[in-house]
Amino acid sequence: MTEPPPLRLRIGSLPLTNRPEADVLFRRRGEAITVGRFLADVAALAARLPARSHALNLCADRYNALLAFAAALSRDQVVLLSSDRSDRRLAEIAAAYPDLTVMADAETEAVGGEARWEPPPGAIRVAPLAVPGRGGPNPAIPSDRVAVIGFTSGSTGRPAAHPKSWAALVAAAVAAGERFALRDGTDMVATVPPQHMYGFETTIMLPLHVPTTSHAGPCFYPVEVAEALQAAAAPRVLVTTPLQLRALLGAAQAMPSVAAVISATAPLDPALAAAVEAAWNTRVLEIYGATEMGSIASRRTVEGESWTLYRSVALRPAEGVPDGTEAVVAGMAAPVPLADAVALEGEGRFRLLGRRTDIVKLGGKRASLASLNRILLGIPGVADGVFAVPDDLDRNPAARLAVFAVAPGLAAETILAALRREIEPVFLPRSVTLVPCLPRDAVGKLPRAALDGLRRQVVGLA
Amino acid sequence: MSSALAIESEVAALIVEALHLEMRPEEIDPDAPLFGAGLGLDSIDALEIALAISRRYGFQLRSDDERNGQIFASLRNLSAHIDKNRQH
Repeated sequence: MTEPPPLRLRIGSLPLTNRPEADVLFRRRGEAITVGRFLADVAALAARLPARSHALNLCADRYNALLAFAAALSRDQVVLLSSDRSDRRLAEIAAAYPDLTVMADAETEAVGGEARWEPPPGAIRVAPLAVPGRGGPNPAIPSDRVAVIGFTSGSTGRPAAHPKSWAALVAAAVAAGERFALRDGTDMVATVPPQHMYGFETTIMLPLHVPTTSHAGPCFYPVEVAEALQAAAAPRVLVTTPLQLRALLGAAQAMPSVAAVISATAPLDPALAAAVEAAWNTRVLEIYGATEMGSIASRRTVEGESWTLYRSVALRPAEGVPDGTEAVVAGMAAPVPLADAVALEGEGRFRLLGRRTDIVKLGGKRASLASLNRILLGIPGVADGVFAVPDDLDRNPAARLAVFAVAPGLAAETILAALRREIEPVFLPRSVTLVPCLPRDAVGKLPRAALDGLRRQVVGLA
Repeated sequence: MSSALAIESEVAALIVEALHLEMRPEEIDPDAPLFGAGLGLDSIDALEIALAISRRYGFQLRSDDERNGQIFASLRNLSAHIDKNRQH
């Protein structure tokens, strides 16, 4: 397949949306929401926003999340994307961005098993207009303006902020639209939250600049995914993760015809990809990316290991970093280092050689093992300790970390409780094993086999 | 054992098995939250539990169940929800 030459961005400004007012942008609760109605909703919400520098978008309803983003953008406010709605994280964000508006759904929903959540007092409650509007201004957004800030990793205590310009977001949407041939009003049903960079790009940014229609949700459990796809118009694309695909196949959920499945956040097992292609008579495509840089490449999993870069992106070796590679992304001022080691194959193709050893990725989030270990060792009473990575971490979407600790006088529950205050739930160890000492070798390293042996011994497994 | 207790211990065993928890089913506090501060589960686990429930009890969990009934608020709530909706 020959692709057009590298994407060039227009200097100046780009409109919020390039779609005609009659196009269907979203489906929500059985209603088709046109671009015209959306622009009226944006104008009404923008008029309600206080003048602030930043807006925190906590909406779980995907259409509300789009509205919150567009309204803040049209008021020159930078939108913060956080899928972590814990009190602790909200307090951190409020401290780091004091001039902040918080935006949340008018009707809050529980998400994926979490307890019912109440937004902080003073939050702007987001909902479409009760009486649909007919149209509104389509604001021109300066290309170089920071439009959103995404955050990575809860393991270091303080997540790093990754700003994205409006130009970079539009370029990524256009590149994805070309790559996946999303031309004919494709309906996109997604299981990923709109605050995750992957979900944001594929379901919030895409419909603004590529003729696609997103779905508002909820879409988490297998039966809901199937129902959302039933409610969608063909051609349908499911935007999801390896974990969800495994659950959907496991539940043997009957599915309507799906033109393509897009998976990201973790490597997809080729056997699972092949099973999904066979069961639903579809194509399974994978996106490679990260919060810092967004989506940068794709592949059809069953066709082999090679990834093909979007034409808005180039890769090159990173100077001074052993095994390091960096991505040069259209609309981004500085190159972005990759978390994985890669082999460049030329012509915009590359293979992943595995994550660089310090990085673990779980549930679409990334953490540094060194940081996790530092937090463990910082717990009063923990003399030595280590986070252990299971062998099947890259294949088993439900795999979790384990902890081995030397902590005379402390209970495993106490260590777990202390970790819970510091790190995101997905990185919490599934087991905390107390041991008299760790099997460190002469240079203080912990050989994998020694840890495995220790674990079998302690938990009394054969 | 009353039937409420019987289903609670059955569901506790199902959770421990589905999530490979290194604890005994009877160690799950029936009134503690399953997510967050209690058992510390998250949305990855919610999917695993949903899958195990659909296989064992023949019905599917839904997000709006949670909104209405807060079924993950405790083992007791989840067990009651299963008892009400089970197909087999």
